[in-house]
Amino acid sequence: MHIDLKREIKESGPGKTGLIILLLMIAVALLAPVLAPYDPYQQSTASLLSPSWSHWLGTNHVGQDVWSRLAFGARTSLLVGFGVGTLATLLGTAFGVSAALVGGLYEKVVMRMVDAFIVIPMIIVVILISAYIRPGILTLIFLLSLLSWQGGARIMRAQALSLKERGHVAAARSFGANRLYLAWRHVVPDLGPILLVEFIYGVRRAVFMEAGLAFLGISDPTVVSWGMMMRDALSFSYLDVWQWWLVPTGVALSLIIIGLTFVGHAAEPVIEPRLRGVGIA
Amino acid sequence: MLEIKNLRVSYGQDVVLNGIELELGPGETLAIVGESGTGKTTLGLSIMRLVEGTVRGTIRFKGKDLLALSDSEMQQIRWSQIAMAFQNANNVLNPVYTVLNQIIEPMVEHGLKTKKEARDRAAELLRYFGFPQGRFAAYPHQLSGGEQQRVLLAMAMANNPELLILDEPLSSLDAAARAQVGDLLRETDKQSARLVATHDLDTAGKLAERVVVLYGGKIIEAGLTRDVFYRPRHPYTRALIRAYPNMTTVKDLQGIKGRMARPVSGCPFHPRCTQAIDICRTKTPRLLRHQGRQVACHRGGIITLLSTRNLARFFGSLKAVDSVNLHIESGETLALVGQTGSGKTTLAKTIMGLYQPTEGGVYLEGVKVGNRGKDFYKRVQMVFQNPGESLSHRLSALEAVMEPLDVQGIGTKKERENKAIKVLGEVELPQTNDFLNKYPHHLSGGEMQRLAIARALVLDPALVIADEPTAFLDASIQAKILKLLLNLQEQRGLSMLYITHDIAAARKVSDRIAVMLDGRVIEEGPSNEIIAAPKQDYTKNLLSAASALHSAESSELPRAIESR
Repeated sequence: MHIDLKREIKESGPGKTGLIILLLMIAVALLAPVLAPYDPYQQSTASLLSPSWSHWLGTNHVGQDVWSRLAFGARTSLLVGFGVGTLATLLGTAFGVSAALVGGLYEKVVMRMVDAFIVIPMIIVVILISAYIRPGILTLIFLLSLLSWQGGARIMRAQALSLKERGHVAAARSFGANRLYLAWRHVVPDLGPILLVEFIYGVRRAVFMEAGLAFLGISDPTVVSWGMMMRDALSFSYLDVWQWWLVPTGVALSLIIIGLTFVGHAAEPVIEPRLRGVGIA
Repeated sequence: MLEIKNLRVSYGQDVVLNGIELELGPGETLAIVGESGTGKTTLGLSIMRLVEGTVRGTIRFKGKDLLALSDSEMQQIRWSQIAMAFQNANNVLNPVYTVLNQIIEPMVEHGLKTKKEARDRAAELLRYFGFPQGRFAAYPHQLSGGEQQRVLLAMAMANNPELLILDEPLSSLDAAARAQVGDLLRETDKQSARLVATHDLDTAGKLAERVVVLYGGKIIEAGLTRDVFYRPRHPYTRALIRAYPNMTTVKDLQGIKGRMARPVSGCPFHPRCTQAIDICRTKTPRLLRHQGRQVACHRGGIITLLSTRNLARFFGSLKAVDSVNLHIESGETLALVGQTGSGKTTLAKTIMGLYQPTEGGVYLEGVKVGNRGKDFYKRVQMVFQNPGESLSHRLSALEAVMEPLDVQGIGTKKERENKAIKVLGEVELPQTNDFLNKYPHHLSGGEMQRLAIARALVLDPALVIADEPTAFLDASIQAKILKLLLNLQEQRGLSMLYITHDIAAARKVSDRIAVMLDGRVIEEGPSNEIIAAPKQDYTKNLLSAASALHSAESSELPRAIESR
């Protein structure tokens, strides 16, 4: 059971690449106020400018600096991604582990609920709901989390069921430990690596969903988002602006998703050791 | 013939005997047993009125209260009607008298016989007890211990006393002489009543039909010798029997924890007792009749700690455990023996509540255990089969032992740490920082098992269920672990349910053995009986297949167990 996640990722070429991309993106998001020369919301009369020293990636149709919006857009994307990743993993773990440890009727109810959610096509539901409520970042995080923890819960339950039979868990029960203690001290720590993989895929899904919703124009229009930038850029596709407005945004989004995929893939043997050595080299 | 009521003997502040009640009819022999210093000799001396301390109460001999007699009246009775064979020959025998004269003296002194008659009687008695004729003229210091003892017995018997008090009558004889003299004593003069004070249970068993167990100057158990030895009811009596080397018990010898202390308030045995409760510390228990036996114990003698009634656990159609009735007394080891797959571990886990019983129940001190809470687990702990599995690989040695305390929320962190470290010492593990920070995979199998045992002990449980605690260990480490368990039982009064497939190991550590086959207990009884006279064929097979040191030429090679 001693699987070194760090080594697992480091030893895989794509894993390392993915990690570097992610770290770069996170750095951009954190340093956005420093890296961006302009306020991303500040409008000016200088619209649709080509790249220049003062505007590295030119300006958009309302005269906002595209580079600044790109940098701040990384924040939105990662915030939603990590937020949903965290919350969905927490929910999945809580329901999955508790179902395994409590068992009985509770387990049945939770797992049938999971099944029910899984058969619903998530994208359609999210689009429908978003179209009505036009969610802000926080609402979006909650919404996406609520709709994406179920797969994780299944995995966590399966793992917890097997961990539950371990000797040290039985021993802890024989000291009079309650289920919360068992979960916290004996089951969840051993789920660690799996939690991380679940988390990474959760992030990836959320980044994609957020961009998609913004692209469809059904998210909060006041928040800078890559999806929204691409949508705006597309309406000016007859001009040359797509070269510095649409392409960099698309590339940035693709990079994040590729980075997350690489890291996740490298970490996957943790869940399924039989995958070892079949990575995408 | 002899009736003692509420006898109390004290030397100054020191109360040596208290509340002694005895009755002895003609022709009866009563043994007084107990460790040295419990007041056995003092009791004999009190009857002889030779005790130097203050004696209160009544000692009625043939209707006369000996304590009320004047010195001269007592003189008449002493040595003629009541005689005593002392334990310590050196103080009793007069160094300037020859052997023959020693014996003649009391007879002549009481004027019962002429010197001639006395001489004949003395010679006859000496010969009777196997004293060599050629040494009648020897002086006491020329005699061996065995010879001195024979002289003392002859002296005591000289006047055909009606009450004979024998203080350690056989203690300085070797085994063969002991058997011989013991027979002689039993046969002589069936009219007299006898009081035998001894720490030697064999002597008591050979000479007396009734026995009284004395502890701290009080009678704590009394009954027929056979019953008392076969099934002691008082924890002290059992401890005494366990400490006594004999050919009947198969379990290893065990001492009694602590030392006899005096004075003690409450029950005299409570500081060494392993089932003492609050009342034992404050109130002296009375000697009460209990199932044909008299026991002085607030708890009515050794209690039944845990029992199962019709306990069953099925997995689908598999009856892993099927109507099992077992009981474990406080401070005893019950070995559960059976081959792999006979349901031993399932039974243990069902008792522990790790499995829900399909039928029946578990009773702790007679109360049915429902939902097991922390209270139950504080009293009953388990050592799991595979220590490597049962110790979390994430917890260091210290953390692992502290875990039960953490779970139970006992004390501050510092107190828990200290307690854990103390218990590590008890199981003979190092208490260094280096060791405390080690993880299970750094430890050897023996160390892991000790750690697992320490963890089970850290809550000071009354019962430990040990599931094959030595299955993964080699013989020398197994021996150490078994010794450790026995010592812990002695020190803490642990009850143990010892689960094993190895009947050879079981007989060394258990008081009783239960044999399990296909989920049922097919035979149960005292270890020595199961080993010596098994009733079930399966048990016989187990025994013949058990480890023994045979040589290849031996015709008695173990047979394989026939498949069921």
